[in-house]
Amino acid sequence: MQEAAKKISISALKLWYGESRALHGISLDIEAKRVTALIGPSGCGKSTLLRCINRMNDHIPGCRIEGKVTLEGQDIYAEDVDVVQLRSQVGMVFQKPNPFPKSIYENIAYAPRIHGIAKDGPEMDALVESSFKKASLWDEVKDKLQQPGTALSGGQQQRLCIARTIAVRPEVILMDEPCSALDPIATAKIEELIDELKNEFTIIIVTHNMQQAARVSDFTAFFYLGDLIEFGNTNTLFTSPANKQTEDYITGRFG
Amino acid sequence: MNDILSNPAIRKRYATEKRFRAMCFGAVVFALLFLVFFFADLISKGWPALQQAEMQAEVSYSEAVRDGKYRLAVDKRLRKIVSRGWLRALPLYLEDHPELVGTTTTKWVVVIAEVDQYLKGHPNKLKPKYKKLVDELQADGKVQLAFNTYFFTRGDSKMPELAGIKSAVVGTIYVLLLTMLFSLPVGIMTAIYLEEFAPDNHFIRFIEVNINNLAAIPSILFGLLGLAIFINFFGVPRSSALVGGLTLSLMTLPVIIISARVALEAVPDSIREAALGVGASPWQAVWHHILPLAMPGILTGSIIGLARAMGETAPLIIVGMVAFIPDAPSSILEAATVLPAQIYTWTGEPLRAFAERTSAAILVLLAVLLSLNAVAIWLRQHFEHKW
Repeated sequence: MQEAAKKISISALKLWYGESRALHGISLDIEAKRVTALIGPSGCGKSTLLRCINRMNDHIPGCRIEGKVTLEGQDIYAEDVDVVQLRSQVGMVFQKPNPFPKSIYENIAYAPRIHGIAKDGPEMDALVESSFKKASLWDEVKDKLQQPGTALSGGQQQRLCIARTIAVRPEVILMDEPCSALDPIATAKIEELIDELKNEFTIIIVTHNMQQAARVSDFTAFFYLGDLIEFGNTNTLFTSPANKQTEDYITGRFG
Repeated sequence: MNDILSNPAIRKRYATEKRFRAMCFGAVVFALLFLVFFFADLISKGWPALQQAEMQAEVSYSEAVRDGKYRLAVDKRLRKIVSRGWLRALPLYLEDHPELVGTTTTKWVVVIAEVDQYLKGHPNKLKPKYKKLVDELQADGKVQLAFNTYFFTRGDSKMPELAGIKSAVVGTIYVLLLTMLFSLPVGIMTAIYLEEFAPDNHFIRFIEVNINNLAAIPSILFGLLGLAIFINFFGVPRSSALVGGLTLSLMTLPVIIISARVALEAVPDSIREAALGVGASPWQAVWHHILPLAMPGILTGSIIGLARAMGETAPLIIVGMVAFIPDAPSSILEAATVLPAQIYTWTGEPLRAFAERTSAAILVLLAVLLSLNAVAIWLRQHFEHKW
């Protein structure tokens, strides 16, 4: 792997929830403008790892971290790192679509406003429009920007959440099982979108769906019980896994 | 084939079920009967208080009246049945209206409560000769029952025909506003801290348990606390609306904290994550997203808490708010009373006319409480977000 293309570097990351250890020392490099999939059975720590990258775990009481996560060489757990700033660089899309119970427009405009990225008015209108276009949702919502975001369908809501995330122009987008609450058609649209978005963003996606990982990702990491078992090029990992556990999992023998 | 209903075990089960349902239904009917009896009794007793007897009499505003011989204002024959309180107020009235001195007018004047009770057909201690007099006046159309404006425009009085709820209503408004002012911000902020920011440790859990316990403490103890802290330590004037408001705030706080916490808890975590995920600070997440969503629930709980505070008498007895207050307080530091305390005072009066006013005051209090609860229900149904 080229040193220059490294966007995020995780080294010897250990994490505890109270007494129980959820991650046992993970080391992983994420390449820029590629899609990296994290797979593994429930409870393997893949979502936990994802949430370490934008420090969402900070809000969980009793959560303790050792090790290092760097974003473009900068340690994101360093004392002087501003979490708010970090999260505008590392956006997140959640498992269940969670639009704010506000208007469709306001859902997008909220984050740029609090970060001071755009002023209300034409500048904001343009940003909202471009965010929706990047999330392939503009044509569906342009006539109902003032309607509540919660009135959209599940798939539209999830794309609204993606648009909301890219509105603050992050460098990395974390996706935590973004399609698990969606039907196959909506899922296909999100996958198409991920394919487009990787031209501009570094994407890390957690998924339970092995076919999805195979379809959308360039790299795949397989986790089991808090350990990184295997990490590599998606094609290689799915066609000729080096590890027996990985093979058993992707062929559906357990998990 | 075996008929399932002829199976004795199943038949027995159905019978038990029927019996159980009948018992539950009976309980509802029983409770409803109480309610109907309560309201029927109150309304039948309180309704007459909305009417007060008055008499048409010639009133002479002579100089003697102005100088204090107010009894001379009406004819000797009628003097004993005119309200003494009304007569006594004449000199002051004439000092304010000097142009009236020396004139006479014929007007409707309020009569003593015994005449009022006699006209309404209630038991009374009116002497036979006055009964005759009233009968005569009634035959001439010079006595009538009219709408009792005094009940709403005057404060307490020792003469029932002049006693009203105005000072109690003004006191209630003061006390309730003060309670709201103190308990809402403190209660909501406490709830936000406990629900959104507090670490999960023994100290916080200790506080939480104690808040829950406080909500169940007999209200009279809050009165003792108010007496000890606000009156004895901080020197807040006794009987004032301020001390009442502060004391009731203590009592209402746990209720508001608990209901606000429930409302905040009902906002799903996904909204918190969404806000934090786009880079809102924890404070922005609460202020922009969580609090607006929880507000209807918080308000509903708060209104119910305040309604409870409004109906409270026991703690106010301790801080001296159950007192004889003829004039409505003009500031929060003056002695005041509240509606339930006024009701309590009047129930101790032996005169029958006061019993009537007690029921009417209860009706007013109930009407206000029911409307507050109606507002709470309306808020909940129209603004609460369903997840």
